[in-house]
Amino acid sequence: MDTQEAVAESTPMETTNQSDSKRDGLKKFTLGPNDSLEGKLTYDGHMTVDGGRAEGEFRVGGNIEIGNNTVVKALLEGSNVTIKGEVEGRLTARDKLTLGKSAKLNGDVQTRRLQIEDGASLNGYVRMGDFEQQAGS
Amino acid sequence: MIGQIYIEGDLRIGGTIEGEVEVTGDVEVDDMAKVKASLAGRDVSIKGQVNGAVVARKRLVIARSGSLTGDVHVARLIIQDGAAFSGKVSMGGAAEVRPARAAEPEAPAAEPEVKALPEAPAPIVAAPVAAAPAPKVAAPAAQAPVVRGKSGKTGKTGKPVAAPTRGKPKRR
Repeated sequence: MDTQEAVAESTPMETTNQSDSKRDGLKKFTLGPNDSLEGKLTYDGHMTVDGGRAEGEFRVGGNIEIGNNTVVKALLEGSNVTIKGEVEGRLTARDKLTLGKSAKLNGDVQTRRLQIEDGASLNGYVRMGDFEQQAGS
Repeated sequence: MIGQIYIEGDLRIGGTIEGEVEVTGDVEVDDMAKVKASLAGRDVSIKGQVNGAVVARKRLVIARSGSLTGDVHVARLIIQDGAAFSGKVSMGGAAEVRPARAAEPEAPAAEPEVKALPEAPAPIVAAPVAAAPAPKVAAPAAQAPVVRGKSGKTGKTGKPVAAPTRGKPKRR
């Protein structure tokens, strides 16, 4: 029902490439330290990138979590986005964006709620307000 | 208060300010305050409404009752859930982590301010202004008296920040 156009490059070392497991009724997509993803992804569940690299555009119906030693160069779109690693790219959080203390975000942000913890680094334009009507909130 | 204000010390804003504010110490914007000015300080804490560019040489904290619209240049940034913020953020690379100093510098520095006594900040504010140790202080401060009672914008809610204008008229 959801179209996924993902071109995944995975190193042959780890077979636990993409693990889908049911959680909270929403499926979860996880990229581990040895995984890498490049491409356009539209996904109906939660997405976690914990270590490793991801590049492209990720539009997710659930939450997005970028872990500690992760580098992501992508356009991100999710409900709740939590960043603890490095992200470069435009980001839209329909509900809340949280930057942890080791987060580095370079890019424009559109979110409804925002929480930035001490130690986080942010460079870019921030726009807050309802996602639907962002006409100068 | 409308005008430019340069303060050596800390500043706590409870009313309405329009113009430019530059402080060598910390800046605290209370939750009822409405600031339409550029703010520059060391530790800047925003609990009210701020419309203007903010430069925090050390840290900027936007509390959940705070709202900031404007560009921000900071070394460290903390935004609490519930806060509203729109603007450009420039942090210039990785933020330095100094967890131990998080509360320390604010506590002693803010002590005289937080008491909210009209007297407390007055000496701090009025002293450099009245004594005019630096010419820079006198010049911008001279514009402040223009405000006193002039336009409705001077929404001084009796909060200490109005202090500088109190001593101002003498200078003209």
